[in-house]
Amino acid sequence: MGEGDSMSPTALVHVVVSGLATGSIYALMAISLVIIYNATRTLNFAQGEMLMVSTFIGWTALQVLDAPLVVALLVAVVAAALLGFILERVVIRHAISATHFDVLIITLGLSLMLRSAAGVIWTHDEFPFPSFFSNRPLVVGPIRVAPVSLGIIGASLALMLALAALFRWTRLGRAMRAVAQNQRAARLMGISVERVYSSSWVIASVVGAVAGVLIAPVIFLSSKMGLVAINGFTAAVLGGFGSMPGAVENLAPLYLPASIKHSVPFLVMISILIVRPGGVLGRVARRKV
Amino acid sequence: MRHAALATGAAVVVGWPWAAPPYFVFLASLIAINAIVAIGLNLLSGYTNQLSFGHAGFLAIGAYAAAILTIRAPALPVPASLLLAGLATAAVGLALGVPCLRLEGLYLAMATLAFGFVVVEAILNLEWLTRGNDGLHVPAARLGPWAFATDTARYYLVVAVAALLIVAAVNISRTRTGRALLAVRESEIAAQASGVNLAAYRTLAFVVSAFYTGVAGGLFALVVGFLSPDSFDVFLSVDFVAMIIVGGLGSILGSVVGAAVITALNDSLAGFQNYRPLIFGAILVTSMLFMPGGIASALRKIPSIRRLR
Repeated sequence: MGEGDSMSPTALVHVVVSGLATGSIYALMAISLVIIYNATRTLNFAQGEMLMVSTFIGWTALQVLDAPLVVALLVAVVAAALLGFILERVVIRHAISATHFDVLIITLGLSLMLRSAAGVIWTHDEFPFPSFFSNRPLVVGPIRVAPVSLGIIGASLALMLALAALFRWTRLGRAMRAVAQNQRAARLMGISVERVYSSSWVIASVVGAVAGVLIAPVIFLSSKMGLVAINGFTAAVLGGFGSMPGAVENLAPLYLPASIKHSVPFLVMISILIVRPGGVLGRVARRKV
Repeated sequence: MRHAALATGAAVVVGWPWAAPPYFVFLASLIAINAIVAIGLNLLSGYTNQLSFGHAGFLAIGAYAAAILTIRAPALPVPASLLLAGLATAAVGLALGVPCLRLEGLYLAMATLAFGFVVVEAILNLEWLTRGNDGLHVPAARLGPWAFATDTARYYLVVAVAALLIVAAVNISRTRTGRALLAVRESEIAAQASGVNLAAYRTLAFVVSAFYTGVAGGLFALVVGFLSPDSFDVFLSVDFVAMIIVGGLGSILGSVVGAAVITALNDSLAGFQNYRPLIFGAILVTSMLFMPGGIASALRKIPSIRRLR
């Protein structure tokens, strides 16, 4: 691709829709990163690998039980919740007083371990993953759209709305927002910061699992699929960490020569960081002594 | 005691090629190269609390610069090509550092991660210069009439450069610049309040760090003899971070020990590629949880080594 001039309008619609679909997955990744970042002020490098492992567990249920795809999704979500809970409880909780730097290294170590363990259990091959949506393109007049893309966009939007409702109207959501603003004040108000930590990891992990099941039919299931999280980083940076609506901003499709495709998210990220260190919608935090 | 420990260490390092089989001489050269990178990274992370996941990119720039110089200008003596490799890398470090160091630690980590990917893609795409995926054979480097054609000769070259850079790093902390960096390490805000220009010193640490890594990259090219983009992937950057975490942040002795431990471990796990990241990840997690000061702070409890750090 890349020859934008020669592209017909109908093909353009197709590209934009599939771009939006990929963008929604990145947005989901960004959201799960931001959820953990807000609660614990650390970047979870293992997010992509957690997504990968829970998708693999869902896939295994599919293979072993010969169950419908919904069951696989449920298994993946439950596995993700457990994984998030265990990782937080066993590892991260012990570093609750450590610096970001230390926790970053820990999550980096976790991501290496998860990826390698997945390779040992499921091999490093790529596996096809069934989709909720049919392959046959939807034809509306001259425009052809892949149902997968529409399904991904719809499901992501639904999940985002559910999360927004959670943060806005539930006790847990309020507690999480309070901890994000000021941990000490939140603790003084009787909020259990530890519980917020736990729930943040569980929720982020579950969001990741849903994103994983949605994207696996498109990019195949493999131990390397955790790399989608890197684009999630870009999305999160673009939107500014800590800025929920901002994380959803990165829906722009990228269609460029394949040789530089992988550099583009990074170049975008670096330039955003330089121009607006707080993200497009975020605010730069003032530090207190 | 201190002199005795130093003298013993020096004797072991000098005598190594006569005591060890050739492969272990090569491995020792790699350890020394990685130690230089680890010291460079530690100058950045240990002093200014900035994390870099892009040092494999700096290593690649140094390596390709030295390799291309050796191929295009065979008469150039080794010190000159290494120095040029270091300077070229430092220049890239400056270009990256000036904008990026306005960023807080977390964002800098991501920007450097991005930098590492961009360097590998650049090497792949600049085929006329780097031969892309085919890789680049590096001829033996020359110093006047001598060529560094054996493992032993290259080992001594690497060790001499490493010793020079270690002495320089130890002495940085005794200069005005070093004191400013120490102040930044202890408290950025207090340092700023005392008139230390935070941005300037951060940039300086970044550039020096890039220089060290560039020189190490030049040595890497000469010792390994063959360069291809996939030797400089992000996992190499992670290895470097692991070295300073395991060895000890902010400690020069720790950098050397960490480089030795991780390089030797990497080599002994070569037959278990599938389990290597698992073990590395476990090492990172456990050393961060249970030994935050690294091996250096454990060693510090032994009096004769205390002053060496």
